[in-house]
Amino acid sequence: MSKNKKRKSSLTLTIRRLFGLPEKETDILKEERMQSPFRTMVRNFVTNKAAMFGTIVFLLIFCTVFIGSAIYPLDINAQDTTQQNVSPGFDMLKIPSALKNNAQDVSVGSVFAVGVDRDGNLYQWGKLTDKLKKMPDADRKYVQVSAGLNHALALTDEGKVVTWGNDRLGLANIPLEVKDATDIKQIAAGYQVSFVVTESGNIYYWGNPNALTISIPEELQGQVDKVVLNLTTAFVLTKDGRVVMLSNSATPFANIPEEIQGNVVDIAANDRAVAAVTSDGQVYVWGTNDYGLFEVPAEVQGKAAAIAGGRFHFTVLTTDKTAVSWGNDTYGQSSAPALTNVSSIDSGYFQSYAIDENGNLTGWGLKGYLFGTDHYGRDIVLRMLAGGRMTMTIGAIAVIISTILGVIIGGISGYYGGWIDNLLMRFTEIVMSLPFLPLAIVLSAVVGNRLSEVGRISMIMVILGFLSWPGLARLVRAQVLSAREQEYVTAAKAMGIREFTLIFRHILPNVITVVIVNTTLAFATCLLTESSLSFLGFGVVEPNPTWGNMLNSAQSSDVIQDMWWRWVFPSIALSLAVISINLIGDGMRDAIDPKSNER
Amino acid sequence: MAKYLLKRFLYMIFVFFIVSILMFAITKLVPGDPALKMVNQQLASTDPARYQIALEEARESLGLDQPLPIQYVKWMGNILTGNFGFSIQYKKPVIEVVGTPMLNTVALNLCSLILVFAITIPLGIISAVKKRSAFDQAVQVGSIIGYSLPTFVIALVFIYLFSLKLQLFPISGSATPGADYTGLRAFGDYMYHMALPLIVSTFCSLGGILRYVRAAMIDALREDYIRTARAKGLREKVVIYSHAFRNALIPIVTIITSWFVSIFGGSVVIESIFLWNGLGNTILSALRNLDSALYLAMMMFYVVITLLGNLLMDIAYCIADPRVKLQ
Repeated sequence: MSKNKKRKSSLTLTIRRLFGLPEKETDILKEERMQSPFRTMVRNFVTNKAAMFGTIVFLLIFCTVFIGSAIYPLDINAQDTTQQNVSPGFDMLKIPSALKNNAQDVSVGSVFAVGVDRDGNLYQWGKLTDKLKKMPDADRKYVQVSAGLNHALALTDEGKVVTWGNDRLGLANIPLEVKDATDIKQIAAGYQVSFVVTESGNIYYWGNPNALTISIPEELQGQVDKVVLNLTTAFVLTKDGRVVMLSNSATPFANIPEEIQGNVVDIAANDRAVAAVTSDGQVYVWGTNDYGLFEVPAEVQGKAAAIAGGRFHFTVLTTDKTAVSWGNDTYGQSSAPALTNVSSIDSGYFQSYAIDENGNLTGWGLKGYLFGTDHYGRDIVLRMLAGGRMTMTIGAIAVIISTILGVIIGGISGYYGGWIDNLLMRFTEIVMSLPFLPLAIVLSAVVGNRLSEVGRISMIMVILGFLSWPGLARLVRAQVLSAREQEYVTAAKAMGIREFTLIFRHILPNVITVVIVNTTLAFATCLLTESSLSFLGFGVVEPNPTWGNMLNSAQSSDVIQDMWWRWVFPSIALSLAVISINLIGDGMRDAIDPKSNER
Repeated sequence: MAKYLLKRFLYMIFVFFIVSILMFAITKLVPGDPALKMVNQQLASTDPARYQIALEEARESLGLDQPLPIQYVKWMGNILTGNFGFSIQYKKPVIEVVGTPMLNTVALNLCSLILVFAITIPLGIISAVKKRSAFDQAVQVGSIIGYSLPTFVIALVFIYLFSLKLQLFPISGSATPGADYTGLRAFGDYMYHMALPLIVSTFCSLGGILRYVRAAMIDALREDYIRTARAKGLREKVVIYSHAFRNALIPIVTIITSWFVSIFGGSVVIESIFLWNGLGNTILSALRNLDSALYLAMMMFYVVITLLGNLLMDIAYCIADPRVKLQ
């Protein structure tokens, strides 16, 4: 029992020692006498609320940035024209409750979706632009919908086509043939174009003539059964089961397998490949084999009934009335839930939806972006994680360089004195009189342009490090000078201790606290300087992200006002990091210098 | 003192030359031929022979055909005689280019300096006198946040608040485009455009200076003569403003002189965000356009200003505190 108690007390003792707490409760005077200076510092620091707050915040940021960027690596060249400037939030799969159990048709747009229920009411959800919010008349009944990049089409029960959303680039100019047509069978909205197919097999399109290079052969009119679009081209399924590409370019899309011609029942196109379902339920894929698009799941072959394509994935409706997706699964768009009795499917961009026989609508895929996306459609969270890692790494290495230089130069100068001191201090003053930011800009403009990306980043670290040591060198010199004159140094010298030991055992410990405080505060300054350089476009440049250069593109008034997420989040991260580091540095200075504690 | 100043001055000249060699060397590393910008590029396709001649002539006029040491000596000689070279970006002598920007920068920074001290000195005194009060704590937290926030973040936030939400001030520029005001109207327009950069640059400096003033004041209040003054039965106001504050002024004066550099140097970040036609913006555009004569002259200007600032700081310290002796 007593042994047990003893062990327990030794454990608590270890823990107490670990955190610099007194080993025993004693009265204040004894405690003061027993505490080592280091323990007093730790104690002062721990009891300083602001400093502890700073420490916690900084550790949180640090861990988030380093662990987060390891878990979610950033492909720095990834861009997506269809996902530009998406506002933050996860509402892209939020199907309106009125539609959820009563769906008739659904269509996926770039960052929104449009649906129509069995009573003919229109719904839309996701990231809606102001123009998209102006929906067509609610008193008409609709039977079919289609959503494109930033516009949508709907077909009324009277067979009229209405369009809303983006009205530029000729998207609002519905051709007369379409206005007059009474037998419209399919509507399709794509990347700045709209298509219409009639029961009589005619196909019409309008919109931006430069978005797709399309030519519709004269002999095709009257033959068309279905049209599918991707961002670059369009494909037609004819009434006799043939697939025709509507442009003559020699892309991999043009390699339509000959054996399926005349036998196709459904087609789908995404931006890497095209897929066709033949009458025997087989799926054929051609185009480019990215994201495993050619590896059609085995459970689909022979059972495919209909197919739909997103941006980089396909979804198939099988004869067992289930939905199967494959392809790019970044946002879960290829992880189809296990559904039964599915009657129709739709895929688009990064989402898929399935409607079952009872009208239940289920969606999977991209829900949204936590912090939105930027002007290249890049996820801001991922860029902030990678950018934070970059900013902190650059700052840390720059600070290490400047600390090493400052300690060595200041130490030598202070310890040896004489002409060495004079020479080194003149050198320090020369570096100090160099204008910091302009010189850093000149250097990175001059030398940086000749280097690779990695070289350029290391260059910035070195510039920052080599320009910011003079302050520390002067401080260390002053500390060493005063330490050199202390009695214990004289005593140590008199005892014949080697110079090396004298410097590192006796003088350095007295200087190190100042160095640590200075290093911490210099780290904050380095973060600020690197960010300023990158913000001005002279530091780390695109596509490599840092918190500074993420704000570079956010200088115009429309971005500041309407796309606030592009500058608010990186600003908050950078500010929080710098504030917390400064709090830590301040706290350490107060902890080390009891005199400043009184301030 | 005179001996010290002379020594210091000689040393300044030495540093000036060392730095000028450094700057010159760096500039010569810049990729790209500045002569190309002086020659009509269309000539290259229409008349290659004449283009070559024109290029040679441009190189010659810029002195690029001579070896580097001679180029340096010539350039230095020119600088010392007041010829700072020819800006290929503006097609004007450098001295004519920097005139207006320098006025703009000085105007902006001088106003900011006055504002900063008008705000920080009373605030610093109050928070030092009421040390550890709620007010002091708030000031402390505010100043840490203030000096931690990056300039461009503050600028973006203030543009959002004052220009876009409240629509009080213009976003950028230094005059209403198209408007041709004269006299008082022009001055008013100028101040109206200066308001937002002024607010931002003032705000950015508040934190650091405030902490400095407060610390100086606290140190002064701890001195023995304060206790004596209080013991004499002087009124607290007299103790604070006459005894403590005057002594606290010593470190404050030195920090004001260190601002000398930034008054002329200007903030590259603020000027580039607000498109304020100052020196910071000029050096940025000179760098972007590889206008070497211009940015070299400006870098040397910065160096001279920094050196002068250091000297001024020493002298100011000496004047403010008679106990300090310069050796």
